[in-house]
Amino acid sequence: MINTVTKNYVDGDFVSYQVTYVNSNRAKSVPLATDNTDYQAIQEWIADGGTVIDNPPE
Amino acid sequence: MAISKVTTASITDADITTAKLAYDAAPFRNIVINGDMSIAQRSTSVSSITGSGYNTVDRFRTNMGTAGTWTQSQSTDVPTGQGFATSFKMDCTTANGSLSAGSFLIIDQRVEGQNLQYLKKGTSSAESTTISFWVKSAKTGTYIVALNDLDNSRYIANSYTISSANTWEKKTITYAGDTTGAFDNDNASSLKVQFWLVAGTTYSSGTLATSWESNTNANNAVGQVNLADSTSNEWYITGVQLEAGTSASDFEFLPQDVNLQRCQRYYFVQCDGSVSAAQDIGIGTYYTSTDLRASFSFPTTMRTTPTLEVETVTDGYDFRRNGGVDRMDDFVLNNASLTSASLINNSDVSGTAGQAGHLFSDDASCFLAVSAEL
Repeated sequence: MINTVTKNYVDGDFVSYQVTYVNSNRAKSVPLATDNTDYQAIQEWIADGGTVIDNPPE
Repeated sequence: MAISKVTTASITDADITTAKLAYDAAPFRNIVINGDMSIAQRSTSVSSITGSGYNTVDRFRTNMGTAGTWTQSQSTDVPTGQGFATSFKMDCTTANGSLSAGSFLIIDQRVEGQNLQYLKKGTSSAESTTISFWVKSAKTGTYIVALNDLDNSRYIANSYTISSANTWEKKTITYAGDTTGAFDNDNASSLKVQFWLVAGTTYSSGTLATSWESNTNANNAVGQVNLADSTSNEWYITGVQLEAGTSASDFEFLPQDVNLQRCQRYYFVQCDGSVSAAQDIGIGTYYTSTDLRASFSFPTTMRTTPTLEVETVTDGYDFRRNGGVDRMDDFVLNNASLTSASLINNSDVSGTAGQAGHLFSDDASCFLAVSAEL
């Protein structure tokens, strides 16, 4: 079960999602690829009311 | 009088049968990847499974809701004398004898549409397909195997019977070709090959869809026994082969390296500390004094740009450079393609910009993989 989803920024660009899971130390970095099934799962999670943590670099 | 010379003209075409040819006339005929259950990159055993996902044997996904608790493993219990060394095992550890309407437990394999075009689905020349497999279960009765067309929301199922408990049995089921709905010619999941183990009334209250039809939940798994009703229940399967045609050929054993490479299109483990704590992950450099980047290549082209999976381990990963070691807990994905990935850590380390080195794991808990699963 997804715990948190956070946007990863590199060199100022949003490059991937960081996903953590309940009761797990294994995290996923999910690329912004529409045919990636983890990316699709994040979009479903957002559609179901999940909130992405977004802390863009200043 | 003896024939002294056999010429082409002396043998009719019809007499040259596949059995008489000394080679496999239809290589890679098995639509199912890793049907002999020999590849298990993630783990050989996972316990306390209550939900959906990939756990052990490559390419075989668990789909579960309110159907007890299970241990899944790659087993060495196999049918005698058939050439198999491994099987896929489901072991019920917490029973659910009173299913909810929506309870389900399915083991499936998902297939890319571009690998199915030769079935000519959706045309008047649509091919029949035949699935064969070896199965063993502690619970006798009726089980359902289905083909689920995800592109056109169409479905066909058939049943097999476990007639003798705890005994390996070979099953063969043929499905008619479907003249409606072509598979998309792309890298997405077009077909699910589904082995039902548990089905609540949502999936079993209608009439089993033994001909291709529009997918209706109630017709999915009519008659399916509840394999979750006892902790004595175990289910094994191996030798899964789905092929074009109306008969099952012998299982197509592939060399281990070929089988592994086919699985690595979907999942690839770059570092597994349980195998060896210290493993070389890749070459890296300090992009800035607090920004370490490293990269590695995949052994085969992946299905799509993959997800990076990393086990967070306190100081579990080393960057060895200039005679010293910098330690970090994890990484995130910087960039990835179908053939390589770049990692970044800008929270745990500091060094000299431009300094290069090797990234290693340094703990038995470390794990790093890429996933492009369906």
